[in-house]
Amino acid sequence: MLPWLLGFFGLFIGPSLYSFYLSFTKYDVLSPPEFIGLRNYVHMFTGDDLFWPSLGRTAYYTLLSVPLSVVGSMFLAILLNSKLRGVTIYRTLFFMPSLVPLVASVLLFKWLLNSDFGIVNQALRGMGMERPPGWFSDSQWAIPSLVLLRLWGAIGGTQMIIFLAGLQNVPQELYDAAAIDGANSWQSTRHVTIPMLTPTIFFNTVLGIIGAMQTFAAAFVATEGGPGFATWFFALHIWKHAFDYFNMGYGAALAWVLAVIIVILTLIQIRLSKRLVFYYGE
Amino acid sequence: MASTQPSVSTLSAGYASLRAKRSHRAKKLITYVLLTIFGLFFAFPLFWTLSSSLQTWQELRSYTPRLWPEVPQWSNYADVLRLVPFARWMINSFTIVLINIPGTIFTATMTAYAFARFNFFGKNVWFVLLLSTMMIPAIVTIIPQYLLFFNLKLIDTYVPLTIGAWLGGGAFMIFLLRQFIMSIPRDLDEAATIDGAGPFRILWSVLVPLMKPALTTVAILQFLTDWNDFFGPFIYLNTMARYTAAVGLRTFQHMALETTDPRDHLLMAGAAIMTIPVLVLFAAAQRYFVSGVVLTGLKV
Repeated sequence: MLPWLLGFFGLFIGPSLYSFYLSFTKYDVLSPPEFIGLRNYVHMFTGDDLFWPSLGRTAYYTLLSVPLSVVGSMFLAILLNSKLRGVTIYRTLFFMPSLVPLVASVLLFKWLLNSDFGIVNQALRGMGMERPPGWFSDSQWAIPSLVLLRLWGAIGGTQMIIFLAGLQNVPQELYDAAAIDGANSWQSTRHVTIPMLTPTIFFNTVLGIIGAMQTFAAAFVATEGGPGFATWFFALHIWKHAFDYFNMGYGAALAWVLAVIIVILTLIQIRLSKRLVFYYGE
Repeated sequence: MASTQPSVSTLSAGYASLRAKRSHRAKKLITYVLLTIFGLFFAFPLFWTLSSSLQTWQELRSYTPRLWPEVPQWSNYADVLRLVPFARWMINSFTIVLINIPGTIFTATMTAYAFARFNFFGKNVWFVLLLSTMMIPAIVTIIPQYLLFFNLKLIDTYVPLTIGAWLGGGAFMIFLLRQFIMSIPRDLDEAATIDGAGPFRILWSVLVPLMKPALTTVAILQFLTDWNDFFGPFIYLNTMARYTAAVGLRTFQHMALETTDPRDHLLMAGAAIMTIPVLVLFAAAQRYFVSGVVLTGLKV
């Protein structure tokens, strides 16, 4: 217990409070922090040209990647839950990409989706598409490319395993009852499986949004926020100010804004879940 | 009319079961087709990493690409190790992992034990605080942590990357182990108490032997976390010789090398080298990769 308490105060509570204080200061590490009141927060909304764009891009990425990855994982889990022969081989295959370290998978996708020599564009050209997408090198396609990378690396991983565990908790009697009522397999999926999975969907969505809002490594390794700031996510913006310009005060203020946004989004989801999530037996 | 009715219904029942059988078979076929399509989506990039890592750059950049190299260039792997300190980076990653695993096992177990078995002042509040650390974005604490290590002159060392593991190892690990300890009957503790064992004896000689599956899971999760971590090593390490594999591989993209030829094949070889330890671990201990989900008793 003691080591955790030390860590809890030393690495969590203390730093959180200190970063809150820093967010009201100007601090370049070399000279001591100088208290400047709300100036950092005012600057964010009035003088920082990349504040809103970076927030918008983070939101776009989150809105695209989280629903697709949650639905994708659920769909894969439902497929794997059918008691067919060879299903465990597919399960292992689906799980494998989530084992590839993120940096390795980013380099892999940059190469797969290389606009000139990538195998994907070679194939698209072979199929007669004259101008296939530029993927990571095209500002329109850069975020969708990151989403594709994310889907490949995540939908068959832990998220899918959580859905499989959820599916195993659906009582067989519900399916039997649906079958007696003459439900076909789509109807029983729609009216039995999906309602019973809503707690799992909720859990994966909440965690997915928390993660997506903080995306740093994928965008940084793939494009360093480019091309033309197309993947300049909020976490990159924080990093740039704190660790490249050494504006620790402004960086801390940005970090707190992100934290507050994430907490508010999570609370909204918890509120919504009371209406949308179905707990069996309650 | 009355006499024909049974035969019609028998006939229609037979037809219905035939139809059910046929639709069952069709469903099975559709499921397999979908499974295979997804299988290809997941497998092809893995295959392409390996294939690209064994081609020459001329082969990769031809307008008639080959799925598999004419002659596999195993020398690409040797080139990676020769051109960049990749072996060093791998050793560095392993070093961090080897420091962190015992740290997490030791400190997370003790913390989990306290939460699972003892009553102390404000226990529930502490537990909620513990869980809340999972929700608050790491980015809020990273700036002051960086400043702390900066003032302690610990930038460019492994201390910032390993101290967390020795101070509880993170909320998720503690939570997972606490759930596991709670599933062990208290009778065992009580029997040991009667035999005169103190709390530490109970933990190490009664509970820990029973916790092996949970501890294995924790060790594997710690390995994966450290092996994958990019942000931590990226901001804390400056000297190239101290990089981890994740940071090194990223740097490899833009580094000045003795050759200016395209290096996609070498990057793929690097990606493969970095992935191999994870795959080996997965092959050896597959079931522990997914058991975290089961152990936390996640209400799903």
